[in-house]
Amino acid sequence: MQESGSPVLLEHLFRRESGRIVAWLAGLLGSAHLQLAEDAAQEAMLRAVQAWPFEGIPAKPEAWLFRTAYNYAISSVRRGAVFRSKADALVAALETGAQPILDLDREQSLRDDELRMVFMCCHPKLAPDAQVALSLKLVGGFSTEEIARIFFSDPSTIAQRLVRAKRLIREQNLTLAMPSKPHLERRLNSVLKVIYLLFSGGYAAHSGEELIRSDVCLEALRLGRLVASSSMGAPRVDALVALMALQAARLPARTNTTGDLVLLEEQDRKLWDDSLIALGFSYFDRSIAGDQISEWHVQAAIAATYASAASSAEIDWSSILEHYDQLMQMTDSPVVALNRAVVVMKVHGAEAALAALTPLAENNALHKYHLLSATQGHVLAALGRLDEAKAAFSAALECHCTVPEKRFLQRQLAMVSIERHETRK
Amino acid sequence: MPQYVLLLHSDGEAWKKLSPEEMQKKVEKYLAWRNKPFVVGGAGLVRDTGRVIRAKGDGVSVTEGPFSESAEVMGGFYTIEAADFDEAVKLSRDIPHIGLGTIEIRQVMVYNT
Repeated sequence: MQESGSPVLLEHLFRRESGRIVAWLAGLLGSAHLQLAEDAAQEAMLRAVQAWPFEGIPAKPEAWLFRTAYNYAISSVRRGAVFRSKADALVAALETGAQPILDLDREQSLRDDELRMVFMCCHPKLAPDAQVALSLKLVGGFSTEEIARIFFSDPSTIAQRLVRAKRLIREQNLTLAMPSKPHLERRLNSVLKVIYLLFSGGYAAHSGEELIRSDVCLEALRLGRLVASSSMGAPRVDALVALMALQAARLPARTNTTGDLVLLEEQDRKLWDDSLIALGFSYFDRSIAGDQISEWHVQAAIAATYASAASSAEIDWSSILEHYDQLMQMTDSPVVALNRAVVVMKVHGAEAALAALTPLAENNALHKYHLLSATQGHVLAALGRLDEAKAAFSAALECHCTVPEKRFLQRQLAMVSIERHETRK
Repeated sequence: MPQYVLLLHSDGEAWKKLSPEEMQKKVEKYLAWRNKPFVVGGAGLVRDTGRVIRAKGDGVSVTEGPFSESAEVMGGFYTIEAADFDEAVKLSRDIPHIGLGTIEIRQVMVYNT
């Protein structure tokens, strides 16, 4: 019954357009009416799923969705009691502002709308976890349930977080206008941080949800490129994009067919995504054009060193350690110190690594962090201190971690136990 | 070959729970199903409330409706061809509408002259 050659939907079209419709309508209506913008986007998608299964996909599905959302917004404002005295002004704003988008080429204008939305979601008055959740919901087009799945959280917790954040936006009058010059740099830093938080959230391995998680990584990468290509572009933005692209390239190799974790050194490099590696290196080249060196530069340099080794045996561990030393000067992040300890083991051996780990055990931020205990176990096992290694892996298993990580730790624990048994014989 | 109509009753709340990504997947599944050779027709119905006409005294009354008690609204129908009812049911078992409402299958009446 379907005509041959009827259009096919682009991958993730609904999710993408949902974010763009929200950014567009919120831009016209003002951030006080975020909810209406979201409702309109949802309504457009709902009508599409009700109509398209029978009529087929329209010739221009994006335009169809925009038009439908727009019509819904107009009619809601007209009949909605909540808008009362403001209704005329809102309708006028929609009518005059919407035409260019509905009529013609909308790409540039929509990119600006999206960018403003990203910057508003990263407003310093919002808590970091609210910034992340809002960005995923409003810009990324992810649902509350999906966000909850990504962050191992409860949908009602996420829903509450979103409601609070939106209330704060209304009450504090956080607008979609770009911050003024003196605040711009700081806001950009916060945007980059949120983008990388999104990326890391997606990157944490978790069985069964691989697809949605790599979607989040790619969404973070897209947002990074959006910022990089805007007037906000700066070498440190390029560095962040390089970092994400080089790490995302490893996604296909990170778990094996049974869903178990594969450590970087054991990954099949043929599975790495060549186009993402190429993208990463081209952004890395751009990032060193400037004279500033940011944390993102150093992180990207580490990822680039891994990616440029022809095989695991050829990884240049000493230059990676140099990068980590540089990074330690720039940040007091205990996670960076932990990762550095792993590299110390490669370069200077287990005894030195243990010394690097010792102060971290006192750090509250790493309390109950499974990767600290796991690293301790790894180092202690290499030193032949098997009882302590066993205790460390057991402690790691007590912490919150993903299912593949748990299986990985259990294998380590079993190996140490066998070894311990053998040496006692 | 006998024709059967699949009346698709939609549960609006179930639809609203879907994320944009899931909605897109659904649309694609419906369209793939619609493309199957035994599907010969179909149409969607606008969700807005319709009108109900009944006799009233000597004339008719027109009211808005129907308002069903449940959240389910008839959202559209597909017409399929099948050898018999069993086959019609079998062919409809993987319709993507399952989970988003109920499907009522009725045979189209044919007068043999």
